[in-house]
Amino acid sequence: MDRRTVLKGLAGVGSLAATGGLSMPALSQGAAARTLRFVPQANLANFDPIWGTQYVVRNAAALVWDTLYGLDATLQPQRQMVESEEVSDDGLVWTFRLRPGLKFHDGEPVRSKDVVASLARWSARDPMGLMLKAIQNELTAVDDRTFKWSLKAPYPKMLLALGKNSTPCAFIMPERIAQTDPFKQIPEYIGSGPMKFAKGEWVPGAKAVFEKFADYTPRQEKTSWLAGGKQMLVDRIEWVVIPDPATAAAALQNGEVDWWESPITDLVPSLKKNRNINVDIADPLGNIGSFRMNHLHPPFNDVKVRRAVLAALSQEDYMRALVGDDTALWKPLPGFFTPDTPLYTEEGGEILKGKRDLAMAKKLLAESGYSSQPVTCVVAQDQPITKAQGDVTADLLKQIGMNVDFVATDWGTVGSRRAQKTPPGQGGWGMFHTWHAGADCISPAAYNAIRANGDKAWFGWPTSEVVEKEVTAWFDAKNLDEEKAAVKRLNKAAIDDVVYAPTGFFLSYTAWRKNVAGIAKGPLPFFWGVSKTA
Amino acid sequence: MVSYILRRLLSTLPVMGIVALFVFSLLYIAPGDPAAVIAGDQASPADVERIRQGLGLDRPFLIQFGTWLWHILHGDLGTSIFTNLPVSAMIAQRIEPTLSLMAITLVLTILVAVPLGVAAAWKAGSWIDRTIMAFAVFAFSLPVFVVGYVLAYVFALQFEWLPVQGYTPLTAGVWPWLKNLILPALALGSVYIALIARITRASMLEVLQQDYVRTARAKGLGQRNILFVHALKNAAVPIVTVIGIGIALLIGGAVVTESVFAIPGLGRLTIDAILRRDYPVIQGIVLLFSFLYVLVNLMVDVTYTLVDPRIRY
Repeated sequence: MDRRTVLKGLAGVGSLAATGGLSMPALSQGAAARTLRFVPQANLANFDPIWGTQYVVRNAAALVWDTLYGLDATLQPQRQMVESEEVSDDGLVWTFRLRPGLKFHDGEPVRSKDVVASLARWSARDPMGLMLKAIQNELTAVDDRTFKWSLKAPYPKMLLALGKNSTPCAFIMPERIAQTDPFKQIPEYIGSGPMKFAKGEWVPGAKAVFEKFADYTPRQEKTSWLAGGKQMLVDRIEWVVIPDPATAAAALQNGEVDWWESPITDLVPSLKKNRNINVDIADPLGNIGSFRMNHLHPPFNDVKVRRAVLAALSQEDYMRALVGDDTALWKPLPGFFTPDTPLYTEEGGEILKGKRDLAMAKKLLAESGYSSQPVTCVVAQDQPITKAQGDVTADLLKQIGMNVDFVATDWGTVGSRRAQKTPPGQGGWGMFHTWHAGADCISPAAYNAIRANGDKAWFGWPTSEVVEKEVTAWFDAKNLDEEKAAVKRLNKAAIDDVVYAPTGFFLSYTAWRKNVAGIAKGPLPFFWGVSKTA
Repeated sequence: MVSYILRRLLSTLPVMGIVALFVFSLLYIAPGDPAAVIAGDQASPADVERIRQGLGLDRPFLIQFGTWLWHILHGDLGTSIFTNLPVSAMIAQRIEPTLSLMAITLVLTILVAVPLGVAAAWKAGSWIDRTIMAFAVFAFSLPVFVVGYVLAYVFALQFEWLPVQGYTPLTAGVWPWLKNLILPALALGSVYIALIARITRASMLEVLQQDYVRTARAKGLGQRNILFVHALKNAAVPIVTVIGIGIALLIGGAVVTESVFAIPGLGRLTIDAILRRDYPVIQGIVLLFSFLYVLVNLMVDVTYTLVDPRIRY
């Protein structure tokens, strides 16, 4: 009997007990209904959203730090801290005015100089920020509420850059904190967002606490993702880190926690049976599974080998390994962009459609001159998503006659090893697995993984002039039609070159107790508008 | 005795120094990079490298080790790479839950295991002995997490008597504190109850066959007197030894138990730190555990002199 079997069995029986009419008065339900207890997807180990760009840090930071703009559910950036903006006719000078009454948690007003310092730190780390920095003339505070960004070339995606939800977001901090080197951690966690971080109660790895900021003035518009009025309906939010999924499921069933961000799919059926618990898709933008091949070294430096792998891979195999038999949770993805978003395209994706062609894969492999050298496949087995994909890939490679050197290790090692550019036999690697948040793949804006600019590209270091040309074309596009046309060409070029291998599109669930209301689907957990009754 | 204790305490210093060097070297050569973990999955290689430089991880081994040692000698365990908090503060934050769990487990273990072992020895060969030993084999064979899940299911989900997870400090009251620790202590203690019950039985059996026990019986002493005054005291040395080893092993067991019951103790901190390659935290915890091991061994040695007057230092 393995650990997973025990875990599933007990969670299932627990759920049956709950649905069988047993009353479930949680031990801690006497606690104030104004406190929301939330189990995050991962441990909040650090709290600098520019220095460390894990999603969990971004999610917590969205409570504490506000942004100038916020992306709404239609993927459009809307004003958030900004009252108005103006752009010069030549598109080179942007002038922004902050809305009145913005305050930091230490009581100080938010001034333009704080914004300038924050944007300077952000733009040293963010891909879009780096593009802005490269064409920047100057970024200056005009007065306490006005700042100006003057550029050498137009940048039509300015508002998207300032409001995007991919990490790192352009969070606004007090000037003294924002002046910290972007590659070192900030010493204080003072923002102007709707919640204050209770640093004194922080137990990294176990608990993080946020308290309502009384002086926060929400916008008047209806809330929508990171846009609109961020109305806090609870006074306190406690993030309870529970590393064991079975324990988290039991705690939710027992009423010890109110909301579990990411229940594992094995436990979802039992949670659905519990009459006190709601389960729903967490984020309609989902995730894109992927593995990357190292374009620098044999055998994957040969596009024929990369295409051979693409021709043979079955996305269904990958998705079933990730999410089981719940077909509502996945769909095939013959492309690189998030399904059901404006730029989604399948242009050039034929190789990923239809029946898998092992014969074609073997033929391409033979043509490439592949001579059975080992393919070093590094897999983080402490991350279920990468481990499941790695197992499928190992089998796939063997089926087409490749010699697999399967290195199962932990994420800390994979993270280090994938940065090595040396050949696989000298500490480097041949392929690794990961996934990308669908929210990051709606356009080329924050989509590091699609870039093919050689040494500057993401791990795997693909080089494709066509891909890069189309990325630039998208940034320069004047309207949606031009954007769509550029992304179509980009998608085709990326598949032709096999920048990386998409293994499918998958969704995940979130679960909460029925006395909690107002939970919205989105790319991160939004706490504004969420209420709780005793 | 006092000079012996002082000598032993002083001898911990070189032991801890060697452990420190060993652990530091091991971490240095081990694969993995905290900068990669910090930067997140979507970061660029250049970002990872800059973070490495910011953390000083690109410096030569001797400089890193020397800096760390210098700080240690000044009573500074360093700062966590991830949280930017002092390691000593993080350990202080986490030590209470772990010590509480260990203390309750230990008390529970001794209160249950020793009487069981004595009873099994006294009734050797009977159904009582066989039942106790069967229980011991069963409990010893079950992994802590299985026992933990079963206990959580029965006492938390079914009967709703106790919580599934978390920790409440002792300052919040004895019952709130105890409530969170009963299930984890039972889960963690099951293996040690089995182990100590078996050792107690074996040791008691040996003693009960000694001439002085026969003499005591011949003199007409009561059973209780023979068992608990004459026999148990003389059988205590191996039992105390196993309890001592058990305390050391509890630290390892606490890692799993704290994860299953989401207790924010040192065990979870250790696992988190190892997975993230948070070197200063790992080093700080290893030093602390080394010191605890030495201290437990010392306490065991001192206890020998209390239970067996023939032992002198």
